[in-house]
Amino acid sequence: MSLVIDVATGAVRGGTSILFVALGETIAERAGVVNLGAEGSMLTGALAAYAVTAETGDPLLGAAAGAAAGALLALVHAVLVLSRGANQLANGLVVLFLGLGLTSLFGAAYVGRSITTFEPYAVPLLSDIPVLGPVLFDHDPLTYASYLVAPAMWWLLYRSRWGLALRAAGERPEVLRTYGRSPLLVRYLAVVAGGLLAGIGGAQLSTAYANAWFENMTAGRGFIAVSLVIFAAWHPLRAVAGAYLFGAALALSPALQARGIGLNQFVLDALPYLVTLIALVVLGRRRGNTAPESLAKVFDMTGRST
Amino acid sequence: MKWPVMQSPVLQWPGMKWLVAVVAAPVIFGAFVAARGVEPLSMYRDMLTSLVDPAQAETVLVRFAVLLLAGLAVAVPARAGLLNVGGEGQIVAGAVGAAGIGLLTDRHLPGGAVLALMVPAAMLAGAAWAGLAALLRIGVQVNEAISTLLLNFLAVDLMLGLIYAPWKDASGFGQPSSRPLPGTARLPLLANTTVNAGIVLALAALAAVWWALNRTAWGFRLRVVGGNPEAARRAGLRVGPLLLGAMLAGGALAGLAGLLHFAGTEFKLRPGMTTGFGYVGFLASWLALHRPLRVAAAALLLAAIAMAGDSLQIDAGLPAASVNVLMAVVLLVALGTRWKAKETAA
Amino acid sequence: MRRLLIPAAALALLAACSTNTGATPAAAEGSAPGAGSTKIGFIFVGPKDDYGYNQAAYQGSQAVAKAYPGLEVLTAENVPEDDNATRIMEGMIRKGAKIIFATSYGHKDPALKVAAAHPDVVVVQQGNIVDGTMPANFGTYFGTVYEPVYLAGIVAGKTTKTGKLGYVYAFPISQTLDNINAFELGAKSVNPQAKTYVVNTSNWCDPAKQAEAAKSLLAQGVDVISQHQDCTATVIRATEAAGAYSVGYHADASALAPKGWLTGSQWNWDPLYVKIVKTALDGRFSGSEFNANYRVGYKTGDNPFVQSPYGPAVGAETKALVDAAKARIGKDGSPFLGPVADQSGQVRIAAGTVPDYKTIEAIDYFVDGVVGKIPAS
Repeated sequence: MSLVIDVATGAVRGGTSILFVALGETIAERAGVVNLGAEGSMLTGALAAYAVTAETGDPLLGAAAGAAAGALLALVHAVLVLSRGANQLANGLVVLFLGLGLTSLFGAAYVGRSITTFEPYAVPLLSDIPVLGPVLFDHDPLTYASYLVAPAMWWLLYRSRWGLALRAAGERPEVLRTYGRSPLLVRYLAVVAGGLLAGIGGAQLSTAYANAWFENMTAGRGFIAVSLVIFAAWHPLRAVAGAYLFGAALALSPALQARGIGLNQFVLDALPYLVTLIALVVLGRRRGNTAPESLAKVFDMTGRST
Repeated sequence: MKWPVMQSPVLQWPGMKWLVAVVAAPVIFGAFVAARGVEPLSMYRDMLTSLVDPAQAETVLVRFAVLLLAGLAVAVPARAGLLNVGGEGQIVAGAVGAAGIGLLTDRHLPGGAVLALMVPAAMLAGAAWAGLAALLRIGVQVNEAISTLLLNFLAVDLMLGLIYAPWKDASGFGQPSSRPLPGTARLPLLANTTVNAGIVLALAALAAVWWALNRTAWGFRLRVVGGNPEAARRAGLRVGPLLLGAMLAGGALAGLAGLLHFAGTEFKLRPGMTTGFGYVGFLASWLALHRPLRVAAAALLLAAIAMAGDSLQIDAGLPAASVNVLMAVVLLVALGTRWKAKETAA
Repeated sequence: MRRLLIPAAALALLAACSTNTGATPAAAEGSAPGAGSTKIGFIFVGPKDDYGYNQAAYQGSQAVAKAYPGLEVLTAENVPEDDNATRIMEGMIRKGAKIIFATSYGHKDPALKVAAAHPDVVVVQQGNIVDGTMPANFGTYFGTVYEPVYLAGIVAGKTTKTGKLGYVYAFPISQTLDNINAFELGAKSVNPQAKTYVVNTSNWCDPAKQAEAAKSLLAQGVDVISQHQDCTATVIRATEAAGAYSVGYHADASALAPKGWLTGSQWNWDPLYVKIVKTALDGRFSGSEFNANYRVGYKTGDNPFVQSPYGPAVGAETKALVDAAKARIGKDGSPFLGPVADQSGQVRIAAGTVPDYKTIEAIDYFVDGVVGKIPAS
């Protein structure tokens, strides 16, 4: 039982940064833009949050800076892809390299700096609930924020006019155009909002979870988030489940080791990708149909179905 | 967003984007390093000086060979309209395949024979890894861009799993890595240089790819499939096998890149041994619009930028990864000044 | 098929070419290696300000610069333990460096390649071991790290209330196994109930993995945590936040844990680096004590790995126990004084035996009292 609670707690703790990035990528992809540079946005967000927190002593300002930095990097992607016609996948990788390079260049000064971090806060009463209390209600403020962001995004996507416009931009841009809305503007906003959330994910990683900055500290978590979006079939609530599932895969190995049980951790590390791949195989056709229309075109250089 | 100024005839000149890339990229990167308190002009002088040095120029050629193959691994499937984002994983698979054969045979066979076995083993392993994605695509319509990306991470985890346990070098003092490849089984060096024979393999592959794509019926069919698969099907082409073939060829090329890095440079499997070659190769291919000869030019450029990063470390005291900024800006300019012109033309 | 045939033919042609050692072919034999060098190169696997292993080595390089104002000191951070390291060292040599310090454990292979290619350059490597013949221009050096770690284990064993100690580590390299074992042996020497729980991260510095590792241990009731990571802040912060005790490694991080800091081990490379440089500059390197697997410990001299200051939670009684143990090691030579049994209870070092450093650095098992498995063994 304690193993289950520990792994579940670790899943929320470690899955939250991935969740933010996945939610952001969901918005962007719903509007028809893939951003493989999400990892880069996460990384710049992690550094900007850490640096600003180090300079101001306020992690909240840091998180805001992280969001801004993530959004800025995503804006580079948006401009190149939406206004300059660059290939989305290739450009996403370029943006990732840009993020890696910039954070390496400017991050060196912050390695080993001490900061005031986000502290865990046990919610009164709620944290006393057996099992669910420790798992869900003894975390940092950004984790609590993620509890609100995911349902808010669901509401935004499926119950609001904005969401309708966003999904239309990804499915039938020409329809949006006939209603006098600019699909281009919607896509810009979606990509930038995606980067913003990825930046907050990075902030959670550096100022609430690991409480340190280190070159390339995201170590592929942004890519996990991107595969998670596919796994979750572009649905924000399924993304929550997916992020915690992937978080659990990351938390299981240390939890077992701390109990003296060893196992090949690379099996666990491979799990998120394997699960996604299997999901794609099993649900292949259905998943393909849930994919936003314009997105399918991105992945398909010729627009054909084989 | 319309930028009317971009429509002027001067700016439509095809060489323009390279001019912009060559001017803008160093300026932007220079501004960044200046913000870190490094004097950009002397930094560039040091970088160029380091590349002119014959020894460093040779290291550029070594990296070029790997990136060329990684780029061709993307270019061949792209001809058939397939997106191979999985070069990284296929390179790792190739290195694992080569290492597997090496570990199995290096105590029984002469080095030359081991090497001769490792080449096909690496290519088969890379092809198999890419083939998985192709089969998923043809069989259950899983998009290959997504599956190859996921397979990258699986390949790395597979390699780590191997070097932590069954293939771990017993005399490595606990460091996770495979047993080193004996000297005789390594790719030999070209006369009086540090450039290994991998570059010969890479250039031979370039010639073969160029010939296959431009001078054979297979290459023609690939282009037809890549252009319009429906029409290709109606014309009686067997699309599935063509796609599979293109992907297998791409995987084999990436696998060969894995062999080059393993048997030419590293001699051991170790954590992080291929960091990013596959992704850089992907970008080289896009930079070159998937044309084989241009892929070679792009690979050479990206190899030179990567090796100039050494000078950043030694001379300017900057972290090596900051050279990624320079590479990214060059690519951003190049990627962002191309398709627009094409679209306007269309 | 054709694609295979052409290269195969080309390879056959190349068969007569030189063997690939992974480095520039040897320069002409000259004077004593390193003699009269005007430049000296240091490579670090991580950033030079990581408050850990690399920062300590960087400080050592600056001590060399201070001792020899005429020498130009070249440094390179974040040098991976692969071909990149070879290239960076080659680049430093091209710039005129005739003495190279490769300061990470995994830099050994690249360092050996470079040393073989440049007989006129002294290459020394920090922490690893050369098995077999030592090249005339090569050497490894290190402190007997496990000695101060053993002392820290005594403090941990006296402090723990739950009897559960935690250890976060990167790779199961021999150095790390020695540290974990010494930590447990030290703790057990004063507290027979003490067990050490281990979690590995497979990375010298991945803060997110470290955070999860520390929290997993804390959730299991571990109340003292030590580590063998290059960057140490994450684990110490997590431990302090949980109200548990920290034993440091690489650097004095007591500022991060004002309440829970016990002690730790930290580097003082300055004197040793300067001594090695002096030996090389004077042309006396080949055949010297540094042209070997050089190790210093409490018995042989000044260990470059020293004990960190105590925190407020450590009482006089514990300090006296540490002092006694230190004197004992200085006299009979080892924390691994037999009998030492492994996890299965089998005695691996016989009673009364004082193993030499080579035996200690070849240990590939956890001692009795360590809870956990060496990954995939």
